[in-house]
This record gives sequence, C-alpha cells and structure tokens, in this order.
Amino acid sequence: MYDVTRRRFIQLSGAGGLALLPGMIRPARAAGGRIALYNGQHRPPVEALVAAFTKATGIEVAIRHGNSAQLASQIVEEGANSPADVFWSEESPSLVATARKGLLAPLLPDTLKQVGAEWSAKDGSWIGATARCRVIVYNKSMIEEAALPASVLDFAAESWKGKVAFAPNSGAFQQQIMAIAILKGRDTALAWLKGLRDYGETYNSDSAAVEAVEGGDLPIALSNNYYWYALAREIGAADMNSAIYNIGRGDPGTLVTVSGAGVLKSAKNAEAAQSFVAFMVSAEGQQAIVDAIAEYPLRPGIVSPFPLTPFDKLDPAPVTPDQLGDAEEALTLLREAGLA
Amino acid sequence: MSDALGDLEAGAGRIRLPSTRRRGRPSSLLVLAAAIPTILILLPIIYVVLRSWNAGWYAIAAELARPRTALLFWNTTVLTVSVTVLSAIIGFAGAWLTERCDLPGRAIWRVALSLPLAMPAFVASFAWKSMGSEFQGLTGAVLILTLESFPLIYLPVAAALRSMDPAMEEVSRSLGRSPRYTFLAVVVPRALPALGGGALLVAAHMLSEFGALALLRVQTLTTAIFQQYELQFDNATAAVLSALLMLLCLPVVLAEIRLRHGHRVSKVGRNTARQRALVPLGRYAFPAILGLVALTILSLGIPFGRLGYWLLVGLSAGRGLDTLGPALGGSISLAIAGTLVTTIVALPLVLLALKSGGIFARIADRLPYVVHGLPGLVVALALVYFAIRLFPPLYQTAWVLFAAYAILFLPLAQSAIRASAELVPRELEEVARTLGRGPLKAFASVTLPALAPGLGAALALVALELMRELTATLILAPTGVSTLATEVWSHTNDGAYAAAAPFAALLVLISGVPVYLFTRRTLIPRRG
Repeated sequence: MYDVTRRRFIQLSGAGGLALLPGMIRPARAAGGRIALYNGQHRPPVEALVAAFTKATGIEVAIRHGNSAQLASQIVEEGANSPADVFWSEESPSLVATARKGLLAPLLPDTLKQVGAEWSAKDGSWIGATARCRVIVYNKSMIEEAALPASVLDFAAESWKGKVAFAPNSGAFQQQIMAIAILKGRDTALAWLKGLRDYGETYNSDSAAVEAVEGGDLPIALSNNYYWYALAREIGAADMNSAIYNIGRGDPGTLVTVSGAGVLKSAKNAEAAQSFVAFMVSAEGQQAIVDAIAEYPLRPGIVSPFPLTPFDKLDPAPVTPDQLGDAEEALTLLREAGLA
Repeated sequence: MSDALGDLEAGAGRIRLPSTRRRGRPSSLLVLAAAIPTILILLPIIYVVLRSWNAGWYAIAAELARPRTALLFWNTTVLTVSVTVLSAIIGFAGAWLTERCDLPGRAIWRVALSLPLAMPAFVASFAWKSMGSEFQGLTGAVLILTLESFPLIYLPVAAALRSMDPAMEEVSRSLGRSPRYTFLAVVVPRALPALGGGALLVAAHMLSEFGALALLRVQTLTTAIFQQYELQFDNATAAVLSALLMLLCLPVVLAEIRLRHGHRVSKVGRNTARQRALVPLGRYAFPAILGLVALTILSLGIPFGRLGYWLLVGLSAGRGLDTLGPALGGSISLAIAGTLVTTIVALPLVLLALKSGGIFARIADRLPYVVHGLPGLVVALALVYFAIRLFPPLYQTAWVLFAAYAILFLPLAQSAIRASAELVPRELEEVARTLGRGPLKAFASVTLPALAPGLGAALALVALELMRELTATLILAPTGVSTLATEVWSHTNDGAYAAAAPFAALLVLISGVPVYLFTRRTLIPRRG
C-alpha cells in the first residue's frame, strides 16, 4: 500500500540524490577558458553581455547573482581564497569598498581609456560601465508635473506627508544621501532623512516604490530611472499611469551614479578576466548592455534604444563616483535618523 | 531505538557489546553521531557571538537601547504571537471538522487544508500586495501569513485526532462526563503535543521570515538583519539583532518542551481504523463549509489567480524560459540531496534524546530549535566565514550548502522522526533479540520499519522547505547553479513578474509532491 510507495520514494530519492552528488561537489573554480563572475547588476544586461563575450572569445562565464553589497562582503570575507575572477557591481560604493581592502587588481590601461576618467577609480582598480540616474517618479493622475518641487530636499516636509515613497535599503538612495551631504552639508542630509522618516513611506526597494506609485498607492517615488522603464516594459509604456520627472539644475534629486566592474587580484584566470572587462566597455559590449537595460552607456558613441532623457540634458548634481566613495557615511546618517 | 543504533554500529564494527546495556548510557558511537549536528548548530551561534563581541559591550548596549530596536522587537513579537495563535485556532478547528465531525466531503477538505503548505509565503504575499496597499503592514502580514501557515498545525493535529484511541473518550463518556468536558479534558490535552509542535514551527517561521515581510513592508528583526547586510557587511548591528532573535526563540522552545513533557505514549501495533461516532454538525454544517470555502479561496485561489493574471498580461512572459530546465534540475537535485543529509544528521539527535535524559542530550536536542528562528542569511554567512577559514577546498561546493540546510531545517526532521520514535516501545527490539535476531537484523527488521513513517514525513517536510529556500542557496550554492526559487527572486527583482510566473508556478507544483507524500501519510485513513 502506501507504505510501499513511501519506501520506494525514499529509495528513489536516495538513489537520485547520490547520483546527483558527484556533479555538485565539484568546486566551481575558474580554469582554462572559464571565469567566475560575481554579479550584483540586474540580470538582463549581464546575461546579454556574457552571451556576446562567450560567442566572441569562447571563454565561458559562470555567474553568481546576488546583491552588490552582499557580494562585496562575500569577496572581502573570501579574501585571497576568493573563487571570483570579476566583480560586476550595480553601484560604485561596493567596488570602492572592495578596492580599499586591496582586493582588486589594476585594469589594463587600454581598457580604462575607453570611458571618461571621471567614471572610474583614480587608481584604475575598477571601471564604470553604465550610468544611471536618480529621478522622481510620479503618478500622472494624482499630481501635476508643475506641482513637483524644485528640489528633492523639499519632499522632507509635512506638506508631503504620506505622499513620497523611498527605499532606505537601496544603494542608490545611499549615494543620494552622500551627494546631499557633500553638496549641502551633513546637517542638511540628516534633517532630510529625519523628514523622510516622519513624512515619507519606506519601501524595501526602488522597484517596489515605483510599483506603488504606478498602482496609485501614493503619488511620488524617489528611484533610479530604469525601474520605471522596467515596469513600462512589463505593462506597456502607453498604459503607464506614472512618468519620470527630472529635477536637474544640479539638484541632488538628479544624481548620476555608475555600475561597473573590477578584476580580483586573486583571479585564477586574470587574463580572461581582464578581457571580459575590456569587452564590457568595447563598442559591442556596451551596445549589448544598453539594449537590455535603460541605463546610459559610458563609452562615447553608443546609443540606447530606450527613450532616455539625453545624458547631456540631465544637468545632474556635480558629484562624481570618486567623491561618493564607499558611502559609509550614508549608513551612519541612516542610523542616526533611525531609518536603519 | 538508541540501543538499536548503537548495536547496529557495533555490529558493523564487529564488536559485540553486552546486551545488558539497556537503559544505561547511550553508546559512544551514538554520542559521536549526535555530535555532528551539534557542532553544525553551534557554528552560527559562535559566529553571531564573535561578531557581536567584535562590536564591544558599548556598541551592543547602544544598539539594544535604540528606539528602533524596541520597535523591531515589538513587531517581531506581535507578528509571531498573532500568526501562531491564529494558525492554531484555524488549524485546530479545521482538524476537528475534518476528523471528528460529519462534515460533507471530508476527504476533499483534508486536501484543501493541506495544500497551502505548498504555497511559498513570498508568492502569496506578492499576490495580495499587488491587489492593493491595504494588505500591506502588520495586520495584512498577520492575515496573509496565517493563511499559508495554518497547515503546519492542521496536519499534526488532524493526525493526532485520528490516531487517538477512542477508548479514552468512551471511558470518559461512560463515567457520565459531558461531551464538552470530554473534549476539554481528554481530547484537547492529548492533541496539545501535536499542536505545540506545529505552533513551534509556525513561530520559528515567523521569526525568520523575510521575503513576504519585505513585500508587505513590515519591519522585523529579520528584515532589519537583511537590511544591515545590504547596507554594510561586517556588521555588528546585524549580529546583535541576530542574538536578540535567538533569545526570542528561547521562550518558544521552552513552551514547547513544557507541552510535550510527560507525553510519552508508546503503543504496540498500528492504529486500527476503529469506527468512532462523528459529531453531528446539524445547522452548523453550512457555516462550517462556508468558512472552509473562504479559507481555500483566500489561501490558494488568490495566489494562483494572481500568477495566472501576470502570465496573461505581463509583457515579459516567456523571458528566460530556457533556464526553466536547469532551475528545475537545480531545485530538485539540491532539495533531494540536502533532504537526505538533513534527515540522516537528525536521526542520531532524536535517538540520543530519547535514550538519554542527560543534560547534553537535552541541550543537543533543543539547540536546533533555537537556531531555527535565525534567517538563512546569517547561517549562510557563518558558513562562509568558517568554510573559508577552516575548510577552503569545501567552499562553494554543495556540501557547505547542505550543511546550511541541515542547520536551518534540522528541527523539521527531528519533530517528524520523534513522532514515530516515541511510539516504538524500547522492549520491541529486545523481543526480536531474544527471538534470536542479531543486533543489525533486529534494528533493520524492527526499529527501522517502525521509524519509516517518521523518516518519510521528515524527508517530505525538509524537501518542501529546501525547494523554497532562497538566501542560503544564493550565497552558498556552487557558482552558476540556479533553482526555481532563485529564478523567481531574480525576475521579480527586475520587475519581470510574467517572466517569474512560470518559475513560481512550477515551484508550487513540485512543492506539491512532498506535500502529497506527507499528507498521504497523515491524512489517508489506515485500514486495519
């Protein structure tokens, strides 16, 4: 009866499990034509680039997906034993933190030349691949564009109570805090956070905040630009209730940040790893990336298929990734404000 | 049974131990075997203590004194207590209806009340959240999580209600006690251990729940730990919060011990399907059915409906479908192997605890429950820390992941195995020995078959949890290995819900396999 079935289930699963074990106990080490990529960036652009890279070079790429900050921590914890060859981060602070621990090898000068020097590490330990932008996403049926304030700092006021969604966990939000602290001073940044804590609505991620605005839960979200485009891709741009608003005028509400990559000093396959990063900023690689995500290419002359606000029309806050550093101060501020 | 295992091992080693060892100290081999899970369990505890220690006393005190910590503590407690109590009420009521009342279609309701077990909480939460902001927040989270958690109480209670010897109730009634008194004085106390075991699991799930709560915007100690690690790695705050979380597990574990105390009911032979008179529902039949229909719609209908909706309207439908096969393969192979490792590791712990009432055995038996409330993230980071320092060649092999699985889900296997092990009289195997069976044969022919239902339930329960495990898998799985759960996570992260839907649906479907095997055992009436 069913006892027999169960016993058979146990036997079968036992046999199955044992049969599968040998395949899984093999460590995923980079060897020969294979590199290990720790990826904190969104998957579509990474998978597009990896496919193009493997096709062009024959080098295979094993990808470990995760959150950038967590992967950076994992790399730090792994130290010299890290199985990773390349670290692709969604945000520059994770790369800065890894570089500060002395874990990243210098990139080839030829690679670094492909993008503007302001988008990469001064010591050449990592390179920016794409730029993204902090924006305001608003629900068109709940608020007029004309009613939006002149600065992102204005949202931290009682008049916006219950209307502004933000994600304190988001790496990009932390960079925005850093930008405010750099441009307007630490006290202003702290007061802004306390205002958001009291009057804003916290979400777990930028994309959750954008979805809440799209769904009409509240009118405003502080987000990265591409979350809106990702949602528009899912729903259809014509059916979107929400739109993007660029504050510009050098306000920290419009902040350009970069995603980028570095090669680990401990890379088992350093040559292949360097060639991967070089491919990332090549014309072919950049096109593959920006076709898959609504971010700005950092290599000149590449055109995104998304209807992005032109990069030279953004008029962003005058802050570079180098100034943002590892954004550690942002965490202190978040904690002081009671948001973390 | 502990004798049995000791004898089994002794037999394998061709050392004949005196058979007068009965009720003496457990064999050293058994102690050794039980030391493996204990060492594993100690790893995250040591890790949390080490990391907290690095912060220093001042930082620990400052962290504990923050108003935010109090808020997190409060939210965690309210969520855990509310969901556990509500699940207990629904689970017990459901079990009473399907096992003891003349409810029409009881076989169907048994399935309907078990199936929500296959629905991962984050899938259900996503479905609810996408219907409106009113389902977010603590109240929404309590309701949604209760809807997916109550089977953990329904199943053991239903099994207990069925396997209870009707003689006890008949005696009570024949002594002139009312049905209500009999229910309260005979039935409820005998169902309490099952209810307590289920409640412990629900509570531990709530303490470590992340995905659902992040979607529903509820901040608990666990979501705060995730946030801390998202913000910064070498993080004293996260360690202190983890320690606090383990402290919160303690009263839950102690309460369960009290509930189980003194309940050792061994029985020879299997339960016979003795006919018992069912309670007539009368005019309550209609409201009871209405309630069950509503429960089924809320716990199953809405999440499935939402998956279907995204599949139909989402523009990313079909994206990444080529990874469906590898992800399914990853889920199944990791879950099966991890389940076997977890169950095998759990067995000596249970046997030792039953054999020896000693302090080591009791602590070793209970320690896993304390760690069960820790989020997978903390356990995974602890294993990264130790694997890199102590066993670098093992790092990023599936073995470290299996160790994490064992640490996270030992209590599920322990509870299930114990349920069977407690029913086996120690004398049974000795009878076999006196009848001339060797120690190995006695164990294999008497004890092992008696443990089989428990082992089967353990395998099914652990497999179910492993299929939906996300955070430890993300951090520890060999690079390039994906599972259905990690794919769902990736796609929803990118806002590609239609792309995620097939993975989520497949995850629910294959979760149905262990649920089916598990509920079959507990819920199909046995023929004598």
